[in-house]
Amino acid sequence: MLGYISYFILVPMVYIAFVTLIVGLMYKFYVIFRAPVPAGTGAIFPKKGSKVLGLIYDAMIVPNVYNKQKVFWFIIMIFHIAFFLLFLGHLELVDDFAFIQIIPHKIFLGGGVVGITLIITTLYFLFRRFGTPYREISIPEDFVILLVLFFCILFGSILHLAERYSDWGAVLRVNVDVYREWLQSMILLKPELSYKITELSHYTILVLHVLFANIFLMMFPFSKMVHSVFTFLAHYRKRK
Amino acid sequence: MDKEKVLELKQVIEKKLNRPMLYYLDLCTRCGLCYDTCHAYQGIPKKEYSPVGRAEVVRKVFRKYFRPTGKLFPWWGDAHEFDENLMEELREAAFSCTGCRRCTMFCPFGIDMPYILGIAKELLIAYGNAPEELVMLADGAVEKGKSVDMFKEGFKGVIKDLEKEVQKLINAPTSDGLIPMEKKGANILFVGLSGAHSIVYPAAIFNAAKEDWTLSYFEAVNFGFFAGDSEKANFIANRVINEAKELGVKEIVIVECGTAYRIPKFLMGPLPFKVSSIVEVIHRYIKEGRIKIKEGAITEPVTWHDPCQLGRNGGVYDQPREVLNMLAKDYREMNPTREYNWCCGGGGGLVALDNEEFRIKSGKPKKEQIERTGAKMVVTACENCHLQLSTISAGYGMGVTIESFTKLVGENLIV
Repeated sequence: MLGYISYFILVPMVYIAFVTLIVGLMYKFYVIFRAPVPAGTGAIFPKKGSKVLGLIYDAMIVPNVYNKQKVFWFIIMIFHIAFFLLFLGHLELVDDFAFIQIIPHKIFLGGGVVGITLIITTLYFLFRRFGTPYREISIPEDFVILLVLFFCILFGSILHLAERYSDWGAVLRVNVDVYREWLQSMILLKPELSYKITELSHYTILVLHVLFANIFLMMFPFSKMVHSVFTFLAHYRKRK
Repeated sequence: MDKEKVLELKQVIEKKLNRPMLYYLDLCTRCGLCYDTCHAYQGIPKKEYSPVGRAEVVRKVFRKYFRPTGKLFPWWGDAHEFDENLMEELREAAFSCTGCRRCTMFCPFGIDMPYILGIAKELLIAYGNAPEELVMLADGAVEKGKSVDMFKEGFKGVIKDLEKEVQKLINAPTSDGLIPMEKKGANILFVGLSGAHSIVYPAAIFNAAKEDWTLSYFEAVNFGFFAGDSEKANFIANRVINEAKELGVKEIVIVECGTAYRIPKFLMGPLPFKVSSIVEVIHRYIKEGRIKIKEGAITEPVTWHDPCQLGRNGGVYDQPREVLNMLAKDYREMNPTREYNWCCGGGGGLVALDNEEFRIKSGKPKKEQIERTGAKMVVTACENCHLQLSTISAGYGMGVTIESFTKLVGENLIV
């Protein structure tokens, strides 16, 4: 039974998660771009810099956060940069990408520090929500997303750190090719979960990591996570 | 609440779901950075007076009826159905916000919180719970728009009296024609308010500048917008727009009223004429040498209050400062200033409501800001701001004079 559940998480559920993410986001965009556009502008003055570069600056550097809470700005910047680096790291689990190797490294730049950074910052966001005034404005979705993200990164980091540094990892170190074989088969829609994966001593950790990642991806279009995409639209209107 | 009413209210929300509204409703992470950026929260530190607290009330019902998670797992997004308490929360949220958009300045995602409250206001109208004062004033303005001919003769009589006051201000040989009306092809259509001062001083300035202008039959203020009734707001705005089109003017100039300026300038789409604030026009006349003012006429310390709709939402920052620096010997800047300036707490039609205690409390950051400058005179260019600043000054016993920008220029014209 557990074998079936694990298989479901590592194969069909991954497909379900990605389809939900892509179709969900496409649907969201469809609804938004189909909706009527109000006359006029929602501009805020002064409009500094160019419209396009300015909105990228506003959305990605968030100067208004820097102006208001410098420590919080530092934490959210670290969080998002770490998130991006982990995304690149996962691309390397699929194949080699020359642009990621600008800084030569084994897969996952940072040797595990990135994951730990993300764990710490996620915990910061989580515990911040228990303090006043943030507790009063938080809703269950806020806590659930952070918990899902926390467990996803935690299990991912355990996998990574164990394989990279522990004795246990030294004995059972997995060649990246094993992951690539599995992930490439998934991309080619010919899923193959070989014994090299299922017989891993830390297979359960892998399953849990993928489970939380799947949940996160499925929640993405239907939760506040859409801020990562919609923020550009909102900043555009502010500069229009 | 009965099903029919719920259905009606759902349709109200549906109508408001345009493109920006859809992404504004979805993208808040409740990071709380906007929490203390509202003057009302500064004065009364309660969640319901924080920008995110207000927007969440709207989001609660939006999620309940328009998001699958709200329907299936209401606890997930704190989704809430319509009931008496919720309508009360919506009213508190909508009519404690002045629409100053200071919170938008600090939102990492650029969410326009007052825009979201547009839903709350429309819901209150449909539910019959909108502030009666604003609804009545909006209805009055709509009625005037529908039957303007009935008002014309009476209005012309009043204007005749005002022309005599203009004559005194500019030492004109005659009062005849100092406030022209229905002048086709004029350069400027000036839109005033119902108070005489809103017409007399601009008229003096236009005459001193030898401007080819004409006065609108309508008042600039848009109570439909304040009440949150899109239909009435559009009708009221279009009264002036249509008048300008019929007269074939090149520019409409709006009296000291922030919202009245912002609506035609930024919210009505492209128009076949220019829209300016009287503040911009005065500055232009001085720069072009068309009017002269008594430099250094004001000796006491003076500060400028940026009306939110003129500054943050209109981009008129430098012009009044340049003029005031000429008029006053001791001009002092507020801190924070310009786009970060605190709202006075009177915008969005709040000064028209019976809420003086709330407005005095929510005016606390403004009061502190003024006190820090040490100024004895606060100049502004918005009728709402003027009234609210006077309330704050009286409420806290500040003893500062609140002065209108146009009046100050009008009184210090060299003619």
